[in-house]
Amino acid sequence: MTNSISIGSGSSGSGDRLAPAVALADSGLVKYMAFDCLAERTLALAQMRRYEDDSAGYEPRLRRITERLAPFIGRGGRLIGNFGAANPDAGAREVVGALRDNGLGGTKVGIIRGDDVLKQVLQEDLELPEMCCRVSDPSLDVVSANAYIGAEPIVELLQQDVGVVVGGRLADPSLYVGPICHELGWEMDDWKRLGVATVAGHILECGMHASGANYADPPYRTVPRIHDLGFPFATISDDETIVVSKDPKAGGLVNEMTVKLQLLYEVHDPGSYLTPDVTADFSQLEARETSPDEVTVTGGSGNRRPHLLKVLVGLNRGWKVTAEVSYGGPGCVERAQLAADSFMKRLEPLSSEILETRFDMHGAGALFSTALGSTPSDVRLRVAARVATREAAEAFAEEGNFLYFDVAGGGGVTTSIARAIGVTPGFIPRESISIETEVLVP
Amino acid sequence: MKVREIAASRSGDKGRVCNVCVFVYDPKDWEVLRDRLTEERVAETYAPLISGSVTRYEVPTLHGLNFVLDDALDTGVSMSLRSDPHGKSYQSLILDIDI
Repeated sequence: MTNSISIGSGSSGSGDRLAPAVALADSGLVKYMAFDCLAERTLALAQMRRYEDDSAGYEPRLRRITERLAPFIGRGGRLIGNFGAANPDAGAREVVGALRDNGLGGTKVGIIRGDDVLKQVLQEDLELPEMCCRVSDPSLDVVSANAYIGAEPIVELLQQDVGVVVGGRLADPSLYVGPICHELGWEMDDWKRLGVATVAGHILECGMHASGANYADPPYRTVPRIHDLGFPFATISDDETIVVSKDPKAGGLVNEMTVKLQLLYEVHDPGSYLTPDVTADFSQLEARETSPDEVTVTGGSGNRRPHLLKVLVGLNRGWKVTAEVSYGGPGCVERAQLAADSFMKRLEPLSSEILETRFDMHGAGALFSTALGSTPSDVRLRVAARVATREAAEAFAEEGNFLYFDVAGGGGVTTSIARAIGVTPGFIPRESISIETEVLVP
Repeated sequence: MKVREIAASRSGDKGRVCNVCVFVYDPKDWEVLRDRLTEERVAETYAPLISGSVTRYEVPTLHGLNFVLDDALDTGVSMSLRSDPHGKSYQSLILDIDI
């Protein structure tokens, strides 16, 4: 047991920058690195990849992450992530292979299974309160159901001395709560301390948010060397203080404001932040700058964990297709409007496949609708639709390309096609799922 | 005075709910923010963008407010067709409110 643990953030979602994560891991400042790779829709998309290929469905960067962090792991560092996404077993095998190829054949890899509750949810016909129906409703095409699971299996694996933990839908802060509780010997029913660990996890789970990302708004807020932001790390002590800092060689900054903004990011009631581990209480937190690029957070607390686990149910909603075109100079708004009207008419043959459409004029209040007024010198028309089939999406995109020609001065046409995935929550009793862990020895 | 002159903000999503948190740079501005940036002012500003209610939480120890905007993203489940389906840009609108 130690008196403090230093843990770094390496990712806030699939597709985050890897180089600064490697730099923090190699800095010698942290013993643990945690990677959150799952946003709300990521898992449903991963599940759909797995349907097409049973060996897929885990974080696409996983091999590269393992290889780049191999020197850190080789020095005794430990790597934890929800890299497994829809396929923790295949993810763990990928990690084992990458470790072996990098001379780390003796490193143990832990798998966490049991968050995939699709079968159970279909069997029990789970209620979906936000949809006002059950999963069997014929209007829904359910593709995934994953329960948010907590830090307990991570602690269990770390006690068996694994070097890498590969889980599925581990809750974002739990990726940090696990190593904190393991290192400091905090019990999994010590609600106050689990609250503190969750505060630390919440600060770090969004990666560079705590160290200067999503922050610059000159002249009020400026960020040094913003092109080279570094990941944050935190040192959590047995006295329940959290000291947040960042890779000192990187750009960015850690100050009271960067930390406070992250403390309430994606939080609803600050007095009751629900995770699988604890009902965390952020309402009495204090944050003060104790050194340059160093903020000390105190006052975290918590109450008994919720009995119900949140399940995120993924829905196949068809395809999302967009087409964009720019107009400039006098009459640009009118020409964009004419192009939108013309486009709408050309879509008529597809109308039975089109589920919803949306027209926006960027530069003329697209993001904020009528909330702000403006007189633009150029605008970008964006047409978006959700359609039932891939074929309809392709036909829509093809019509999008004609935006170059129908109205004068249309430039820079782009189109995009992606799966439309919806997510909606449900809740299941914690005892109704079984989480299991396994240790692989390469 | 615009909120932007005394405070910073950040927004994010959970399903169909968006939250926008606001913190003053200088604690001496905390009472001004708390008294003037009301639930009603924020609801009025975001009315064209959201269809649900606005709930305000205060965190005095951090000198901050948290606004929770329900049904703020074209019902999260319908996979919003907006350019910014997550409401990441919502943080900038609150800073334009005159207080």
